[in-house]
Amino acid sequence: MNLKIALTKGRVEKQVIPLLEKAGIDCTQLRNKKRRLIFNSMSQPFEFILAKGPDVTTFLERGVVDIGIVGSDILTEHRNSQYELLDLKTGQCQFVLASTDDFDPDEPKRKIIGTKYPNITKDYFDTLGQDVEIIKIEGSVELAPLIGLTDAIVDITETGTTLRENNLKVFDYLDKVSTRVVVNRMALKQHPQEIFRFVDQLKKIVTEEKALS
Amino acid sequence: MKNNLLPLGTRDEFGVRSEEKQRIIEVIQRHFRNLGFARISTPIIEKQVVFQPYQLVNSKMYRLLDQEGDTIVLRPDLTLPIARFLSSTSIPLPQKFCYVGDIFRLSRSLSGSYNQLTQAGIELVGYQSTKAELECLINIYDLSREILDEQVTIELGYADFAKIFLDIFTTDVNLRKQVAQALFDKKITEYERLISSFEDQRLYPLLKEWPRLFGEPEDIFQELNQYELPKSVTLRLKKIKEIVLLVKQILPKQQLVIDLSSRAPQQYYTGLTFRGFAKSGEDYIFSGGRYDNLLANFQAQNEPAVGMGIDIDLLTDLCVKKFNRIPKTLVFSSIKNWSKAQALVKKLPNATLSLSDTKADALKEAQKLQAKLIDIEEDEDEFEDSSN
Repeated sequence: MNLKIALTKGRVEKQVIPLLEKAGIDCTQLRNKKRRLIFNSMSQPFEFILAKGPDVTTFLERGVVDIGIVGSDILTEHRNSQYELLDLKTGQCQFVLASTDDFDPDEPKRKIIGTKYPNITKDYFDTLGQDVEIIKIEGSVELAPLIGLTDAIVDITETGTTLRENNLKVFDYLDKVSTRVVVNRMALKQHPQEIFRFVDQLKKIVTEEKALS
Repeated sequence: MKNNLLPLGTRDEFGVRSEEKQRIIEVIQRHFRNLGFARISTPIIEKQVVFQPYQLVNSKMYRLLDQEGDTIVLRPDLTLPIARFLSSTSIPLPQKFCYVGDIFRLSRSLSGSYNQLTQAGIELVGYQSTKAELECLINIYDLSREILDEQVTIELGYADFAKIFLDIFTTDVNLRKQVAQALFDKKITEYERLISSFEDQRLYPLLKEWPRLFGEPEDIFQELNQYELPKSVTLRLKKIKEIVLLVKQILPKQQLVIDLSSRAPQQYYTGLTFRGFAKSGEDYIFSGGRYDNLLANFQAQNEPAVGMGIDIDLLTDLCVKKFNRIPKTLVFSSIKNWSKAQALVKKLPNATLSLSDTKADALKEAQKLQAKLIDIEEDEDEFEDSSN
């Protein structure tokens, strides 16, 4: 039985492949992927599937993959209900509330907020007891307050460079984000040994990396 | 707007899927009729208040208004309507009920989930004895063998185990809820952070192991035997052990696991919980347990009860997968051999009669259906082989 693992394409994929390799998993096919999206191995009990983050959560929910490797931003936004077994401590960044210098978070009005993450934004303003108008932005969220579309934005930042370069200032820090190993609830019951072996292999590497840093 | 589009999350069922689903429903209805269960069916619409104790995870109810302006819902569950029925009639108890019906849940749109689901189930109302739980487990065993031709694994748990176990560590209700939530969702990083405040407590090592406290009964009991546990916990473990022993005596071949780290299927459960899952399949096929306080939502007097739901759609998916592995056969004959051809169709597991006038047309028909063609007059030998 091969475990089906959906790995988020792009930055997550680049950061996680070295961890998988250190855990003894051969990633030669993933490294030489060309345009392929599914990687079956005859020598190890894993089948990797490359997909976009939101699709990884859909695959997990529908039970078509056993394991997903995806950012916690996407898991929270898509209301993940599957098991989140491990924090890989990679892809670390943070949600922030940011805007131009003249933004007043305490101004008594119904604010307009731009974001790629409407659920996370709503949750945040709910905790503040504020009702806001949310505009879903698909591309460069930083543009929204600069062109007068929104009062502020809720977005992810790693170092704050993009925000600074666009003359935006952080007004509040929200949840931290990192890459997680998520397991389909039923798959954990159907293949507990195989899944825990995979998770424990990775956990050992994450702990070692943390000790070195 | 086009007039031939279905609402999101619904589907038409036809052909093999429809046939298999009907067959499964018939098997289940016959099974429970033979065991003396009373059939019950309730309306698909109910007043919303009926479902007050019902927890919907990641879905919502379909709501509409009646003439009086009361909110009516399409039922998301079949147990609470039966409790409503019992509280509003003077049906003598104990009683065993069985039902089959559709339930409706608005799931996240464009997620691939269906909003209309077919469920069968039983309710054993007025029974205090462990025999009620046992009857459900034996039915899981019998039905899975009859319908799936394979054994499902039965998972046992206890509805309030998490709450009782966490009582040992803290009186802070909010913290207890947060830990239980992280445990049930197996958000391990969050769970480990929350339990770190209990590090100096005697049972902390067990608390740390808890998210993985599921598996073979012997392994779980062995793990728990290392700790001195309070009576509230051991009483619940005793109940689980009792059931494990009974199942092993009555169904020695039944695969059993215990899970003490999962959420009860619904918040109205009060005692032993059980679920059944196959080697493949995206969810539990069987799910149930004891809920002794269910009628208290509708009347002053309580009644002990055990119930179990059966996911007919999931059973159908599993059966259709098996059926689709059987090659399809198309049987062609002249009208004079019609009876012979029909007799052969009845004997083959996945066959149908060709209604083409000529063999050439029958060949085209077979190609479209991706079926093997048997000409009853020409393939005499094969016909004879299949008939034997």
